[in-house]
Amino acid sequence: MTQIKIENLSYSYPGSKDKVLKQIHLEIEKGEFIAIVGNNGCGKSTLCKVLNGLIPHFIPGNFEGSALIDGLDTKMVDVGILSKAVGYVYQDFENQIVRPTVLDDASYACLNYGMVDYLKKGREALSMCGLNDKEADYVFQLSGGQLHLLALAGAVALGPDILILDEPIAQLDPAHAMIIYEVLKKLNQEYNKTIIVIEHHTEYIAEYCSHVILMDAGKIKWKLPVKEAMVRVEELKRSNIYPPQVTQAAFRLKELGIYPWNKNLPITAREAVRSFCALLPEKERKKVFITKEEQNSTECIRFEQVEVTYRSVKGEAKTVFDKLNIKIHAGEHIALIGTNGAGKSTFMKLLTGLIKPKSGAVYIQGRATRKLKTEDLAREIAYVYQNPEEMFIKDSIRNDIAYAMQVRNVEQWERKTEELLEKFHLTSLAERDGRLLSGGQMRRASLAIGIALNPSILLLDEPTANLDIATRKEIMRTLTEMKEVTDTVLIATHDMQLVSEWADRIIVLSNGKVVADGSRESIFSDEMLLKKTGIQPPEIYQVAKQMNQSLECFNLEEFYDLFLEEVV
Amino acid sequence: MEKFMNKLSESILDKFSMDFLRNQVLKNAYGNDDTMIAKMDPRILLVWYLYFALVPWFSDDVVFLIGCFLLVAVTTILAKVAGLVLCLFILGVFSQTGYLFLVTFLFGGDGSSVFPLLVLTVKVATVSLASITVFSGLDPDRLSNGLMWFGCPERLSFSIAYAYRILPMLMEEFQNVLLSFRLRGNPPKQTGVISKIKYLAYQIQVLIHSFYPLMLNTAKRSRTTVEALEIKGYRYAANNKIIKKMKLAQLKVQVDDLLFLVLSFLWVSIVVLISTLI
Repeated sequence: MTQIKIENLSYSYPGSKDKVLKQIHLEIEKGEFIAIVGNNGCGKSTLCKVLNGLIPHFIPGNFEGSALIDGLDTKMVDVGILSKAVGYVYQDFENQIVRPTVLDDASYACLNYGMVDYLKKGREALSMCGLNDKEADYVFQLSGGQLHLLALAGAVALGPDILILDEPIAQLDPAHAMIIYEVLKKLNQEYNKTIIVIEHHTEYIAEYCSHVILMDAGKIKWKLPVKEAMVRVEELKRSNIYPPQVTQAAFRLKELGIYPWNKNLPITAREAVRSFCALLPEKERKKVFITKEEQNSTECIRFEQVEVTYRSVKGEAKTVFDKLNIKIHAGEHIALIGTNGAGKSTFMKLLTGLIKPKSGAVYIQGRATRKLKTEDLAREIAYVYQNPEEMFIKDSIRNDIAYAMQVRNVEQWERKTEELLEKFHLTSLAERDGRLLSGGQMRRASLAIGIALNPSILLLDEPTANLDIATRKEIMRTLTEMKEVTDTVLIATHDMQLVSEWADRIIVLSNGKVVADGSRESIFSDEMLLKKTGIQPPEIYQVAKQMNQSLECFNLEEFYDLFLEEVV
Repeated sequence: MEKFMNKLSESILDKFSMDFLRNQVLKNAYGNDDTMIAKMDPRILLVWYLYFALVPWFSDDVVFLIGCFLLVAVTTILAKVAGLVLCLFILGVFSQTGYLFLVTFLFGGDGSSVFPLLVLTVKVATVSLASITVFSGLDPDRLSNGLMWFGCPERLSFSIAYAYRILPMLMEEFQNVLLSFRLRGNPPKQTGVISKIKYLAYQIQVLIHSFYPLMLNTAKRSRTTVEALEIKGYRYAANNKIIKKMKLAQLKVQVDDLLFLVLSFLWVSIVVLISTLI
């Protein structure tokens, strides 16, 4: 049954002549699980807002053509009726939660539309989203993943048959991301809801979605079943979408004449292992042991029996770290990983001197942070937040980058600012306010601000979160370039591709303890550890490992090498 | 001695961090939802409040005033109000009348001038503590429902509940913006007395500058919130009497509420009785 039917739809925002959507034709059947992919700014979110009637009812503008939901023309019915047919979860979902307690928020829409059993409906929605035991909690007590589920529950409570989610897992660690998608799968299969996600993570698309829509510059290029869509590697890459690593690998191997030309490309790890195994040439594989150079570089950070507690709103103070010990040497590139709430941000804030340990001490270049002010540490340490908006304290990017140098009278700060703008490709945006830039530009600007004082230690909190894959690659390139400029860098991240391509030491935090500390080889091959901490190595690593326990590939190039004849 | 002073000022500054403020505000908003006051019917409490917010102004009877003061002091303790709020209360009362009291005393004022000031101080204190009991002890959501029952516009009551929802987010953001200034700014050195004043001036300047990014960030956030409210039918419900009735149906007067009223009434009667006997 056709549930959504869009005909000849064009739309431009009020006051703008550029059409964001151009002559869209689209049909969506009931029960489909659809991913919309496309470049940033290609009209994905706008299309979704047409479906829930915000456009044209709440956001006017030039609307041509028609959109029918269950036969209802969205132009004719109001947002209230449509919101019972279409649920929407925003990318910045925490801003759509408007009530202080969980059940209250989940049932709020039902109450507003005058449903007598609104509490029952709210409870049902919470249990569908796996939050039934959180009913009485305050919203600020929830973790990031739970907040997202609550936003979803708020949409589900009205009983819509269609659910739209804008980048549901952008800010979540893999374990929480999986929970979200499992909930969506349940809603799709058990409750027969049509699900539409805007998503950049093709691994999740391949695993969970049934269809893919590719958008480009306001047009729909095609809508295809997921298996057909993901194998169009070149076309997707042209739109800056990167198919799952296994698909990319098989595509490349096909080009090299290794993968059979008439065989379909795999899109999930499961399929891939089977087809790759048969192709693996029998050759002597010497396990390359990279002998680590003796660590004789100087120590720059030392945690000694650090204990940190947080004041909690109710009852006992919460212990974040209990007797934490760690040493970091100058020149190391460290990835700090662990689930949401494992203590990564606290770790970084200890280094900035913002949080002081309750007992024990943190030493930076031999000086204890307890005696120092954050301002005194700023020369040694730069901290780039997860949320770049909070770093923009001046009215333009140029002033933001210049600020720290200017107030310290750094010699030739004007020239240095220009150089930084140049280096991070920001010269043309220099006069804009940081907040108004796109995600990738904001991130670049925040990095430039961070390294302006030439710190010896750089702390980055989730530098690749919330970015589409193309922008993420760009940031990763920038980080690699920066390796030469900066000395010691510490990145807190969930992004395992970044970890495996960039870091030379990995520290795993879990419940405020360092549970592992070592090279990527030692961390990713420790199955017990992975299970315990919910870390998921990059897909290509997992596939190689499943093919043969002795294989380790950290990126696609290493994977191709497995299949190539010995090259001298 | 100097060492001691340094240590003292350090520990006070440490306590008075943004983190501490945030914690206190949150504690005040959410931390006392299991107290007797929080569980009461907001309408009863508002009626009770009306009495103790108005009547003390019209009475000059010291016994009666002190009696009222004792009662609201007890309810404040029952409401488990956060320390910071109490601190502000004491500071507030002092700045209103308390200092006059001191000044009069210093400049040789006698009992006759002190007495009216004492009466005024007790009045202000009583009314303030009654306000603290109701507005801080009551759950914000229940408070807003109570106000709505008395005919306050839906918009006001929604704003109260929503303010408490975004407060933790705003505080955290403010903290991070301030940290940006601390990480990148270059405050004056604190050596002599003058430079200490300069340092203070710098800090105040930073606080003012921090509001600009905070406001812009909030404006950016609110776009989603406004759209979400539209989807959730906020506007639809605001003009609908039946839905208002549904919202207020949660309010129920219980035995405890009546008991609270009766006990307060009894106490006031006893106090009035005593004051007439004297």
